[in-house]
Amino acid sequence: MSTLPATQSDKNQLPVVQQIISVMWPSFLTASLATIIFFTVFDPTELGIIGGFPELTRMGGYTIGFFCFWLLTSISCALTCYFRRPTNKPINPNNSKPS
Amino acid sequence: MSEPAASQNNQSIETELYKKREKIYAREVHGIFAALRLLAMAALLGIYYGLPWIRWDDHQAILFDLPARKFHIFGLTFWPQDFFYLSMLLIIAAIALFMFTALAGRLWCGYACPQTVWTEIYMWIERKIEGGAKAQKKRDQGPRNAAYFGVKIAKHAAWLLFSLWTGFTFVGYFSPIQDLWTSFMTWTLGPWETFWIFFYGFATYGNAGFMREQVCIYMCPYARFQSAMFDHDTLVISYDEKRGNPRGSRRRGTPSADVGLGDCIDCGLCVQVCPVGIDIRDGLQYQCIGCAACVDVCDDVMDKMGYPRGLVKYTTENSLQGKRTKIVRPRILVYIAILTFVSSALVYGLLTRIPLEVDIIRDRNVLYTETDEGMVQNVYNLKLINMASEAQRYKLSVSGLEGLQVLGKTQDIELESGAVKDLPLRVQIDPIVLKSPSSKIMFHIESQTSPEISADESARFLGPASR
Repeated sequence: MSTLPATQSDKNQLPVVQQIISVMWPSFLTASLATIIFFTVFDPTELGIIGGFPELTRMGGYTIGFFCFWLLTSISCALTCYFRRPTNKPINPNNSKPS
Repeated sequence: MSEPAASQNNQSIETELYKKREKIYAREVHGIFAALRLLAMAALLGIYYGLPWIRWDDHQAILFDLPARKFHIFGLTFWPQDFFYLSMLLIIAAIALFMFTALAGRLWCGYACPQTVWTEIYMWIERKIEGGAKAQKKRDQGPRNAAYFGVKIAKHAAWLLFSLWTGFTFVGYFSPIQDLWTSFMTWTLGPWETFWIFFYGFATYGNAGFMREQVCIYMCPYARFQSAMFDHDTLVISYDEKRGNPRGSRRRGTPSADVGLGDCIDCGLCVQVCPVGIDIRDGLQYQCIGCAACVDVCDDVMDKMGYPRGLVKYTTENSLQGKRTKIVRPRILVYIAILTFVSSALVYGLLTRIPLEVDIIRDRNVLYTETDEGMVQNVYNLKLINMASEAQRYKLSVSGLEGLQVLGKTQDIELESGAVKDLPLRVQIDPIVLKSPSSKIMFHIESQTSPEISADESARFLGPASR
């Protein structure tokens, strides 16, 4: 697939649900990977003590960690999608043929 | 999918990828491959739901105990320090998947992928409650009356219950399932456990109940890159165009030659049974998950018509072109070589694994002190982790410089299985022996109960510059 419709001027070609999935799903995968690697090295209870949350349980730490990673990775996925859109809009909209 | 088919389909793929999805009503199939699929499904679901309840020694046989930060896999206990072994296991799993893909195509997708397995069981529940594909379609197009909502509510209730059980089992792999069950029954589940049960349950409900084939088409990374593993000797499901075309209906038992047609009677059953809604007769398609439903249903039709089976069958591109299919080929040999290497490295690593972890941290506040007796003293903190499955008694010695003395406990250091101990140690030496301000010394820790468990760890001994 050389050109994805998302790069074409008609940005609405992709249904909203699929746009959301295309951001949330890859970020979910990478966030899972990041969570596994991060918590292999760091113990959430120790991080909790350092961070000032001594009552944080491990399950809680993993969960919060996972969602933080997911938030970050989804931001980067969303930015990628956003920047893939062409910046230069045609001056006269009638000149551009609908693809 | 093979290269030519991929480029051929490019245009249609692009339009299809982004079209609005219509629900696929797949007709139920019976046959050899359907039976095999059922068998694989039953086995895999049985393993998934049953495994966490199996006990081994005095713990759950398979438990990725996240709250305690250790993984139990039958007799073995893994610690975060053993991440290496788990990553090797993952590499083995990935390479094995590549190899099976090169050999047998999307065998994984059709028979073993959780997405397929759960979709099948959800479709089975749907059929039990809503009836067959035709009845479902009729109901969905019919009036929204009490009967309609009754059936739909029953279906979703059954799905949700099954999802909840799935979520519960999932969390049971990470948190001891028997305690989890007790808290579940007494309604005292922790907030995080509750959250994950519902999160995973909801994901199952959505993926197996609604998303279904869309997960394979839009979301699965494997489905996208598996074409890289395909070649002309890979097992695929294909319609035999030479034999089937031209298609057309005819009376039962009429030889094809008499009516001037191919063997395909154009009954359309292969399309009706397809869970991803494609026509296998259009050639190899990226949506095809290789479930073989069309093979079963077509064989059935061929039997009824009195034609030989295999108009739609498992075959290879080479075999379709009349060439010989090679099973052993360079690609497969490379996969086998990598698999053998990584597996033997893993087995070697596990066999020679020393279940004792020693970390030595120097006291960071003071470089060294001089005692009243004129000795130079360094302070260390030893962290011992007993990763063996039994309690151990350790002894400790220091070497590397002449006349090193250890103040502190050096014998009978007792440690329960899985326990961690911090051991402050003072090491002294006569400064005459010191040749340089920093010398290497070795700590040797050995189990008195099982002497094969021992570890050496080096540290720096600091002292005054040579006088």
